[in-house]
This record gives sequence, structure tokens and C-alpha cells, in this order.
Amino acid sequence: MRISTSQTYQQAISNILDQQAQLIKTQLQLGSGRRLLTAADDPAAASQILGVQQTLSSTTQYQANGNTVRARLELEESALTNVGELLQHVRTLAVQANNATQTNETRAAIAVEVRARLDELLALANTRDANGEYLFAGFQGKTQPFSVTASGAYAYNGDQGRRYLQVGPARQIAVGDPGSTVFQAIRNGNGTFVTAHNSGNAGTGVISPGAVSGTFVSDTYTLSFTQVLSTDPITYTVTGAVSGVVASGTFSSGAAISFNGAQISVSGTPANGDSFTISPSANQDMFTTLKNLAVALETPVSGAAAQAKLHNSMNRALTDLDQALGKVLEIRAGVGARFNAVDNQQDQHEHLSVELQKTLSSLQDVDYAQATSLLNRQLLALQAAQQAFVKTQNLSLFNYLR
Amino acid sequence: MAVGDILGSGISGLLAFQRSLAGASHNIANVNTEGYSRQRVELGTRPPQPSGAGFIGQGAQIEGVRRIYDEFLTLQVRSYTSANAQLQSYYSLASQLDNLLADPQAGLSPSLQDFFNAVQGLANDPASIPARQVLLSNGENLAKRLHALDQRMRDLRGAINGQLQSGVSEINGYAQAIAKVNQAISLAQGAAGGKPPNDLLDQRDALIVKLAQLTGVTTVAQDNGMVNVFIGNGQTLVAGTQASVLSVTKNPYDPSRYEIGYQNSDQAISDSLTGGKLGGMLQFRNQVLDGTQNLLGRVATGLALTFNAQHRKGQDLNGALGADFFSVAAPKTFAHSSNTGNAVVGATLASASALTGSDYVLQRTSGGYMLTRLSDNTVTTLATFPGGAETVDGLTLSLTSGALNVGDRFLIQPTRNGAADIAVAVKDARLIAAAAPVRSSAALTNQGNATISAGEVLDSTHAALLNTVTITFNNPPTTFTVSGVVPDPSPVAFTSGANIDFNGWRVQITGTPQAGDSFTVQQNTNGVSDNRNALLLGNLRTQLTLAGGSASYQDAYGQLVADVGSNTYQADIGRQAQETQLAQARNARDATSGVNLEEEAADLVRFQQAYQAAAQVISIADTLFQSLLLALRR
Repeated sequence: MRISTSQTYQQAISNILDQQAQLIKTQLQLGSGRRLLTAADDPAAASQILGVQQTLSSTTQYQANGNTVRARLELEESALTNVGELLQHVRTLAVQANNATQTNETRAAIAVEVRARLDELLALANTRDANGEYLFAGFQGKTQPFSVTASGAYAYNGDQGRRYLQVGPARQIAVGDPGSTVFQAIRNGNGTFVTAHNSGNAGTGVISPGAVSGTFVSDTYTLSFTQVLSTDPITYTVTGAVSGVVASGTFSSGAAISFNGAQISVSGTPANGDSFTISPSANQDMFTTLKNLAVALETPVSGAAAQAKLHNSMNRALTDLDQALGKVLEIRAGVGARFNAVDNQQDQHEHLSVELQKTLSSLQDVDYAQATSLLNRQLLALQAAQQAFVKTQNLSLFNYLR
Repeated sequence: MAVGDILGSGISGLLAFQRSLAGASHNIANVNTEGYSRQRVELGTRPPQPSGAGFIGQGAQIEGVRRIYDEFLTLQVRSYTSANAQLQSYYSLASQLDNLLADPQAGLSPSLQDFFNAVQGLANDPASIPARQVLLSNGENLAKRLHALDQRMRDLRGAINGQLQSGVSEINGYAQAIAKVNQAISLAQGAAGGKPPNDLLDQRDALIVKLAQLTGVTTVAQDNGMVNVFIGNGQTLVAGTQASVLSVTKNPYDPSRYEIGYQNSDQAISDSLTGGKLGGMLQFRNQVLDGTQNLLGRVATGLALTFNAQHRKGQDLNGALGADFFSVAAPKTFAHSSNTGNAVVGATLASASALTGSDYVLQRTSGGYMLTRLSDNTVTTLATFPGGAETVDGLTLSLTSGALNVGDRFLIQPTRNGAADIAVAVKDARLIAAAAPVRSSAALTNQGNATISAGEVLDSTHAALLNTVTITFNNPPTTFTVSGVVPDPSPVAFTSGANIDFNGWRVQITGTPQAGDSFTVQQNTNGVSDNRNALLLGNLRTQLTLAGGSASYQDAYGQLVADVGSNTYQADIGRQAQETQLAQARNARDATSGVNLEEEAADLVRFQQAYQAAAQVISIADTLFQSLLLALRR
């Protein structure tokens, strides 16, 4: 084949240029550590990389969210621990106050301490976080959730909102509980019904908190005692406001009285006309429970009937305190479960992050061993092309025409 | 035989070899001349002299100077040059776009991620002003990044306009030059009695190749040695000695978009121009740039529309309903410059997910009003337009004023300006709507175990959205009574967990309520710590809101990057293949027509020797003549 002189030059130059271009590309890949320099190098991988980066970025954000969840849950946990300890302390005081050796004076002293604890509880319920937001106010973080009204009642000014944080693509975790749930929504009595004495009772009857046997039929019942003559046996009648008379019989101290799913007992000796009410449990807030306890302790006691009333009140206060403690435990268990959930989610995220980094690396990172050996080969090829050019360009017949 | 004959032959040889040497030196001198075809001096014998003994040779003479040339190879080089130039310019433009979009720092992805991470930051701490400020500034950054990407595309558009202009003046220059060479060839050919003016022919071929680098050409040879040159679909550029003049014209819809046409004519011929640098630029503008800018606009517009819709369902820190978070570009409409009616057509965006990223042409034909989607030329007949508004592909068209005459056309670009015009409309961090405007609660006196969901907003424009609504269960609790809803729907049958929709909100009550239990839905007054709407805004990141519900923002952007990448990749592959083909065609041409110095060196030696021999013949003739004179002197 015939070759023109300019062809030989052009061929050699274009070979060298090609080699240079390839070398530069490998050099760029090695320098940047990226296999993909532009989307055109591998369009499918480029779009995949964007997707992986988005997942990676949101995973990092979910991890940060998880840390926020932990911080807030720790705050709630610590507030709840304090509330639990406080209630436990008050319960010890109540048990102590219920002791027969106590006098009006010692009870009043205990009442003073209960009042102090009540103020402390109110402060705990109004706990704020580092940003000054109330922890137990629902959505109204800038509104003080609990306050004492003019009438001495405890009002909740927050709402029932719960803030959730996104800790995974399809996972939200609540970072708090509204004050209404923690401090207000506590069933009094035994949780199903509540027993109470009539303030006009003249006897020494003390009613038990009772227990549910079977299904409690929701109604307000009155347990009334009758003893016309002091020699007569004491009889009782249980009358439901809706159900009518559901039980009656001869009273025996401490014996069980069962009706419509409730089982109660009265110890001591009720007087003729004494009555007790058994009504469905309602929500009673912790503050009221503590206040009722303080009020009972502050009431001076003289005589057996008053002693029985104190007993009744103290029993009631203890069951309510137990309910409150149970509530705090329940909420803390919920917080613990959320801690676990966040931890699990964080573990998953860490695992996922590692996997994603691997995928990303396999998609975009250069294989150094491969690229280095490629670089060497290309260097060699470029050198060869240059040397070949230098050698051949000296060859000319004109060299001999002298 | 006479001594004079020997002398004559010798001299003819001297002359012939002198010419041959001249030819070789011409070749050597032009070894680096582009488009030069080597020439060969063709020698022949002079007519012999008849004698009794037969014909006696009279020496050599020059028959002609032949140009070693192959028409087919030259055409091949020309057409490959054209194709190669097209792919080169297409590739160089596409790779600019490709580099821009895929750059991890310059692309959209990082700012999109940062923006949505800031939404999460807001959800983590909805009452915090700093978290809100971060969201605002990340929103601004996202808008700025979109602006910057769009600006680069506008810059490319401007660069194409500029290059069309310089390309057109280059074409005009070459056309003039070809017309002049045509004339020179025709004159020279006449003067030389039909012998081809080789160097002029080469010069013309070289000019045509230069022209082919700008745009695809076809040529037709004429009898008088001239060629006619055509571009596009056979539009005449050079006819003999006449060169047409091209000029840059403005697009009839969009005057900022340049087209190519003939001088003194409005008719653009850009669409028919293929090949060459200009063909590559026009192809890039039509196939890549327009679509990419539209699709980027669709990401921006889609993001703004969907984010706004959710943001309006929220409540800001001041307790008011959210307004638009982003401001969105309205679709652009252009009237065709030849429209005879006075219509003004209005276009608005109706739905983010239905947007296609295509441009549309609205035309009144004798058969009615037609909307053509330019990406696939799908034609939709508009039934209610212009009497009423009509929505096609998420685009609502209406007649603002005037009327269309038959033949009037409008170009509509729904998302072309989406990326350029997006902006954060919320200026005050307190006005970010992180909360939901309603909240729910269960009465503390409830005896049942039923719970109510936090509530979500379906229609933030409902007039009674913020009214307090109480749901009280009847006895038996299989139905409930609703207060605060007009008209009163009570009693409503209760199903645990079913949607309860009133006044533009939705809640679910789950569990077993008891008679008398009540639930309240009311305005979220003071709900500064509520992040429900922020969570919903954050969820938009991965929701499939675009392209008919098949792509998230990131997906749509990734698709765009992949499209540009694969276009660039294809162009690169095509360019490499074309380069090889062009090199082969050049080699084939050069193998025939190119100058080889070795060959010329050998020829020089050969002709020099022949010349020396011819000189020797003269010397011998002289000796013969001298010996004759010497003999006669005696």
C-alpha cells in the first residue's frame, strides 16, 4: 500500500494524542479516586450513585434524629424517675401516717411534708427542656402545662398532642407523652371501681378497695347498713342507681360482699344508716391524690368514727398512690421500649450505612491496583509511540542524496 | 538521419525531464498543503518522422499534467468530515452539560439533600427559630443551585446563538470563495483548451471540505467545470458563480432563540440543516438542551407545587395557616410571529405529577383547536377551549383575551423557566408551617378504651377547618353525635379505625368507646411544639410525586442526569467511531493523492539521471557535428 508522507506524521501524532488522552483520564481517575468522572462514563451507575447518596444522606439524618430522640427520651426518663421516687416517698409517708401510734400533731407534720412534695411534683410536671419548652405540654411547648386555679384545683393547659420524630424511612417514634396522659389519666380506686365512705358515717366500718371478680357492671352502687335495734343483726343492701338492689344479707366484719362483678369487704362495725359508695373508676390526677392525702392528714381525729374515716381516707389515698406509681411505671416502660426501638433502628442504620458506602464505593471508586497497572501500560504505550515516531521520522531517501 | 534530429530529440528530452523535475518539486513543495493532490507530468513520444526505413523517433513531449485523484474517496472524506464535525460539536456541548450535572459539588443532589435534612431538623425542634432559619437558608441554597444550573444552560444557549452567528458568516465566506474558484476554474479551463486547472480544483475541494465542517453539503458538477453546492434538504448555497447569503434569523415564537435562514427571508432552514458543527449544535439544542432544561424545570416546579400544597396544610408559629413556601414560575406562552388574531393565551400549572417536561404547540385549525405535545407529536383536540379552560398533562390553557384565527399558533413551555424562577416565598422563619392547624383530644372522663388519632388536614381551604368539633358517643355506642359540623350529620355510624372526615380534616377513633365518651377536634392554638406538618413535608423527599406518580424529586433528577449522561456517552462512542472512519477515509485518499517524499526523491534521482543523459545526447550530437566540420576543413 502506498503511504503519503503527511499520513505517516499524522498517524504517529494521532497515536500519541490518543495515548495521551487515555493516560490523562487514568491519571484523573487515580488523582480523584473516582472511577466515574462524569455521568457519561456510566450513565446507569451515575443515576444509581445519586440514589445511593440520597439514601446515605437521609440515613445520616435519621441517625441524627435518633440521637435527638434519645436526648429527649432521657430527659423524660429522668423526670419520670423523679416523679416515681417522689410518689414512693409519699407512699412511705402515707403508710407511716396510717399507723395507729400517730397523733393529730404528727399527722399534721407529715401533711406539711406531703404539701411540700405536692409543690415539687407540680414543678416536675412543668419540667422544661434545654430550649425552654415544657416537656409535658403536648403541642403547646411554650405554655406552662399545669397550674393551680383560683379554686385550688389543678388545671392542665396543654393538649394531648405527642411529637413524633422520623427515625427511619417508615418509622416514627414519639419523643414524649402529654401531661394529661402522665399526670391526669390515672384511674382511681382499684382501676375499675372506687369505694368511698359517706362522710356522715357514725360506725367504725372501713371498706376495702375491693377486687373485680368477673365483669364489673358499670353503675354507681350504694352499700347501706341497717340495724334497727342494737341487738338486731347488722344487715346490708347494695343498690345500684340503675341496676336496683343487687345484693343484701347479714353483715359480718371482713366477709366478702359480691355483686355485679365487684367483691368488697367492710371491716369494723358500721352503724345503722352508714353507707358506702362503689362507683366506676374515674381519672384522678396525681396532684389531687396528694392533696386529698394532705387534707385527710390535716383533719384532726377524735373518736372511733373519725378514726374509721381517716382509715377509709388513707386506704383510698394508698390505692390512688399505687395507681399513680403504676402509671409512672407504665409510662417509663413505654419510654424504655422506645429507647430499644431507637437503638435497633440506629443499629440498622449503621449497618445500612456501611452497606451503602460499600455500594457507593463499588459504583464510583477507582480500583487502584487496576488503574495503576493500566497507567503503567499506558505510559509504556505512549513511550513506544513517541520512540517509534522519533525513529521513523529520521528515515528519508533525502538523507542519502548528497 | 541528420545530426539535427539527434539534437532535437535531446532537447525534447531535456525539456521533458525539466518539466518532470518541476512536477516533482511542485509535489515536494506541497507535501504539507491541505487537500493537495499530487501531480504527475505525463510524457509521450513526439510524432515520428517517416522515412524509407520506417518511422524515426523524434524524442519525447509532455502530454499533460495529471492530478492523481479519486472522486469517490474525496466525497467520502467530505461526508465523514461533516459527520465528524457534527458529533464533535454535539459531544463537546453535551459533555459540558454532563460535567455540570454530575459534579457532586455543582449538581442539584447535595442541596436537595441538605434542604430535606433541614426539614427533618425542623421536625426535630419545631419551636426553634435557628432550625427554621436553617431550613430557610437551605431553601434559598436549593433555589440558587437550580438557578445556577439553569443559568449554565442559558449560557450554553447563548453560546450556541453566538456560534450560529459566526458559523453563518463562515459559511457565507466559504460560499463566496467557492463561487470565485468556480469562476476561475471555468476561465482557466477555457484558456487551457479544456485541460484541468489541477491546483484550482484542489483548492475548491479543500474549500468544500471546510464548508462541510460547518454543515452537511452535497455538490453537483456542471459541464463547464463548475460545481453547484447545496445544504440542508437541497437548498442552494452556490450556483456556479453565484453564492447565496445566509443569515441568522429569530425563531418565530421566541425571538431570543436564533435560527438560520436566507438573507431577506423569514423562513428558517435550521430544522433541515444536518451535519457539520452547526448541525451538531442545532441537534444538541433540540434534543438535549431543551429537554434537559424542561426536565430540570419540572423538578423545580414539581418540588415547589407539592411542597407548597403540603405547606399550606400546616400552621405557622403565629398560629396562622401556611402560605406558599416557594414561588413557582408560570408557564411561558409565545405567539407565533405570523399570527393574525389578537388572542392572548394563558397557561397555568394544575398538577405536578402530570407534567411531562415537553413543550406544546396550540394551533387553531379549520377542524378546531389542537394541542400538540412536541416530545412525541401527540395531538389532543381541545373540546372546551376557548370557551372554557382545559387541562392537558397538568397544564391548564385558557383564552385570556382576543381570539385565534385559523392558522394561529402558540408555543407553550410549561416548565422551561421552572428552575430559573423558583424562589423561597417565605421570608420570616416564624411563617414556616411546621404544625398542623387542628389537634384532637379525648375527654378525661371517658370510660371506654377508644383513642383518637392526632388528625390530618385534607383541605386547608375549608372554611370551617378550625371550628371546634365534638364527637360524643350515643347509647349504645355504635353511633356518635357530632357538634360543630354544618349540616349536622348526626348520628354517624361508628367503625373502629375508620376515617372520620369533617370540615376538611380526618381522624380515626380506634378501640371500644362507651356511651357518653367524647372526643374533640379543635384549632391547634399555641401548638408551637407540634411537628406533624414538618414530618409530612419531610416525607415528600421520597414520595413519588412526579412523572405520573412514578418518581421522587431525586429520581426525576437522577433520570435527567442519566439521560444527559447516556446522550453524551452515545455521542462519545459515535464520535470515536466517526473519527476512525474519517481517519480511514483520509488515509485512503492520501494513499492515492498524497505526496510521498521517498517517491519524489526517487523521481528526482530518476529525472536527474534522464536529464543528464539527454544533456549527454546533446553533447554527442555536438561532437558528431564537430567531427563533421573537422572532416570538411581538410
